Amino acid sequence: MMSENIGRKFVLPGEFISEESINLGEGVYKEEKKIYASVMGLLDLKRNFVRVIPITGKYVPHVNDYVIGIVNDTLFTGWEVNINAAYNGILNGRDYINTFDISQEKLVKALPPGSVILSSVREISPTKKIYMSMADRGARVLKGGRLLTINPTKIPRLIGKKSSMLSMIKREVKCTIIVGQNGRIWLDGKSELVSIAVKAIEIIEKNTQMPGLTDYIKKIIIEQREKL
Amino acid sequence: MKKIGQPKKFIIKGKRLDGRKPDEMREVKIKAGVLERPDGSAYLEWGGNKVLAACYGPREVHPRHLSMSHKALLRCTYNMAPFSVNDRKRPGPDRRSTEISKVTRQALEPVVLTNLFPKTAIDVFIEILQANAGTRCTGITAASVAIADAGIPMKDLIPACAAGKVGGEIVLDMFDVEDNYGEADLPISIMPKTGDVSLLQMDGNFTEEEFKKALNLAINGCKEIHKVQVNALKEKYGGN
Repeated sequence: MMSENIGRKFVLPGEFISEESINLGEGVYKEEKKIYASVMGLLDLKRNFVRVIPITGKYVPHVNDYVIGIVNDTLFTGWEVNINAAYNGILNGRDYINTFDISQEKLVKALPPGSVILSSVREISPTKKIYMSMADRGARVLKGGRLLTINPTKIPRLIGKKSSMLSMIKREVKCTIIVGQNGRIWLDGKSELVSIAVKAIEIIEKNTQMPGLTDYIKKIIIEQREKL
Repeated sequence: MKKIGQPKKFIIKGKRLDGRKPDEMREVKIKAGVLERPDGSAYLEWGGNKVLAACYGPREVHPRHLSMSHKALLRCTYNMAPFSVNDRKRPGPDRRSTEISKVTRQALEPVVLTNLFPKTAIDVFIEILQANAGTRCTGITAASVAIADAGIPMKDLIPACAAGKVGGEIVLDMFDVEDNYGEADLPISIMPKTGDVSLLQMDGNFTEEEFKKALNLAINGCKEIHKVQVNALKEKYGGN
């Protein structure tokens, strides 16, 4: 991710990008045949496609994203799930409990409000209803552990190229770390080691643009671990 | 800050009471992303004005019945701290701050791409910590940086600036004495890319020529402010 960032132009809302007729991605808009940026971020201009990679902002859901949600409430036939986005997600009762008749009692018993779940985005309707799914691989209720929220735009850096950063942290602290695309991170393991991982993630969030970040984080984790 | 009575002359030897030229602006400093809790924030110092702006959203609308199915609801709140003025300001909304909240919203609405987030709300809060004339322009300028800092899609940044008339002469960006005893005041905000005006208020009297001169002066002021806004965001996010 980082090496990709280098050399990319930083743009601000309203900045002129191009006059060619190319396909528009996210973070750009067209006015009078001219293309401008609509968010602050890094410009990704290709031959027939343009977008701006945001460097700040809320999580924007996409289909098949793995997200960590917190159950807000029960609906008539499912749950309302907070996924740290502009809209709440909806998880259908049938997707998680396997009974013929769904009652409020059963819903509350299965996923009481406050439950933390790892789920995926199944569908986004044109009316911006976000349907969640628990059928995908790995989707489950996350019990215990620690939940951390960072800016969703920093998630790609936390994962790193081919998951280099994340797997390094997992290896060094021997914790289970689950990263949701919506900026929520769930950690479980020995509490001292989890604290080290949390510190490391906070440093990553603040220094996403730093060259050689993976090695630097590794050094910090080893130093902290030796202090225990 | 001491209260100063009405001066006899506003412009002495081509210079204003605070030593500026008629078309010179006070120093403006903007810092983006100063607060941790809101999605976006900005702190702005403009001469004696000190303003903090914060932005939340897009998020769920409460109360629910205000939500719109085709676009996001933009809500702005302008509030003066009790200690922001010479005499203590009674806290809470009043006629003046309700009006400024409304014109701020109308100034920002044309640039925020609210159609991308139907059924949500974008909340902007402007807190005036210290006032020294021209707080509505200061508020709009800070709010626009806060919205950009929150990563909310917008067409352009909105800078605002005022021009006015004191002692018969058109001046840019008046400070408190000029504002209190001056003859006219013209705060505007523009979209720098297109030059469209999104806020234009006028207090006092101008002749037609004076108005044109003041408007042009204020537009130039806005363009200056726009550069400061851009630099503030670049400084925070390390742009080149």
